[in-house]
Amino acid sequence: MRKFLRYTTIIVVLMATLAPVYWLITISFKREVDQFAVPPKWFSFSPTLEHYLDAFVTRSFGGYLMNSFIVAICSTFCALVLGTLAGYSLARFRLPRNLDRQLALWILSTRMFPAIVTAVPLFLIMRDLRLVNTRLSLVIVYTAFNLPFVVWMMRGFFAEIPRDLEEAAMVDGDSRLGALRRVVLPLAAPGLAATAVFCLIVSWNEFLFALVLTQTDAAMTLPVGIAGRVTQYGIKWGVMSAAAVVAMAPILAFAMSVQKYLVRGLSLGAVKG
Amino acid sequence: MLAPTTAVLLALTIYPLIYSIRISFQGESGNWTLQNFTRLVTDQFFLSALAHTLVYAIVALTIEFVLGLGLAVLLHEQMRARSVFRALLLLPMMLPPIVVGVVWRLMLNSNFGAVNGTLKSLGLNTEALTWTASPKLAMTSVILADVWQWTPFMFLILLAGLQAIPQEPYEAALIDGSSAWQTFRHVTLPLLKPAILIALLLRTMDLLRVFDQVFILTEGGPGFATETVSLYIYRTAFRFSNFGYAAAMSFVLLAITNVISVGYIRLLQTKEV
Repeated sequence: MRKFLRYTTIIVVLMATLAPVYWLITISFKREVDQFAVPPKWFSFSPTLEHYLDAFVTRSFGGYLMNSFIVAICSTFCALVLGTLAGYSLARFRLPRNLDRQLALWILSTRMFPAIVTAVPLFLIMRDLRLVNTRLSLVIVYTAFNLPFVVWMMRGFFAEIPRDLEEAAMVDGDSRLGALRRVVLPLAAPGLAATAVFCLIVSWNEFLFALVLTQTDAAMTLPVGIAGRVTQYGIKWGVMSAAAVVAMAPILAFAMSVQKYLVRGLSLGAVKG
Repeated sequence: MLAPTTAVLLALTIYPLIYSIRISFQGESGNWTLQNFTRLVTDQFFLSALAHTLVYAIVALTIEFVLGLGLAVLLHEQMRARSVFRALLLLPMMLPPIVVGVVWRLMLNSNFGAVNGTLKSLGLNTEALTWTASPKLAMTSVILADVWQWTPFMFLILLAGLQAIPQEPYEAALIDGSSAWQTFRHVTLPLLKPAILIALLLRTMDLLRVFDQVFILTEGGPGFATETVSLYIYRTAFRFSNFGYAAAMSFVLLAITNVISVGYIRLLQTKEV
């Protein structure tokens, strides 16, 4: 009986989780007559690619997609480089008066600000610097946004690696940075990869800063492009859902690859609402 | 090695914050004034946005917590660390919030949405169920989307907490002949307290700043029915170009978030149950 209850729960939860996503995917492949069918057509419709062609060939979603990729990859790279160095030194060196601990906590606390609090002044600053409507502005903002997370994740991974290994390398004549690169980083590689994936997800998904900082096709990311279509009159449901499916696709691959580190990542605020 | 990270965070979080404090104390001609803060107290729109945000946060948090805890307790014996079920459950919370908004606009659309379509085919009258377009149901709609996206998060954090509890206390409770409820109340809950508080803390901070899904689903409407603090600040700054007032409001949001998180952290640090 208990077992039956559990399996029923699992099935109900799975259906509730997956049905809305499945519905989105079907809409993106349906001709308009099928989209508006009542009762809804869950399975029997003849699929079409017209909405994908419309979105990514006729309209400018191809460009938004490119912007999203560039911004996500560049900001993740910058955050990883800076954050790994900081995480390493926080894991290895003690500063007087517990300063290292306080610094680490301060770094984490900068991530806890509600986005809108920094979005208002950052827009004005970027406007003064003439960086509004550039991808660079988003790369800068997302780097800062991801940094605290990278520092804390990498600090944890480095702390798990015994010091003896790099000390041995340093006795053999490596500099500390050399030892970090040749000995420590390869050992921390799985953690580094997971951290990178979390950063990619955050940058890829981010909406508010992108909305505030990019209003032209040159820099607009995919979420902003989608939002622009939704809030106009006469929504093109097919185009919108095709773009949403494309925005979702890389996330699926990413999510599967970081399962093992998920709880650690989530506790540090890996994914934002 | 810490310097670059510290510099980036100073430049991109602390400096904007100071910038924001400055503009919040400036009037339109650049004079120093408190008017942005005095206006807060009498601004009906701000106060009702605050009320919407609190309702949204409390209702969504309660539902997500109860569902998440229920599922975790029910399923934790069956859950292997990396089951397919867990992987699939991840999906909603990894999705871009914009995509979640699109998904639920498609689900809840009163003409062709899957929810009403399904209800109709069961013979129910769905004329009154206009969801995001109805002043009465709009709040329910945005909360529904949030619950869908974030219950898995609660579930995963609580599940990890449950799986970290050692077997001994349960064996002791069994020997003492305590009932299932007593065991849950006096063994599971106290030992799960840290995980519960962390999950609640993270969710609360995200709920208070909610922006993306609401922006797509209702844009704060119809009328003003789902306008949250973040949306109102966004509108004040980027539609009406009143940056000073937006900054002042964002400090209220920051203060509320801080007070609540400090409260959680205090609870987390107290040892007694």
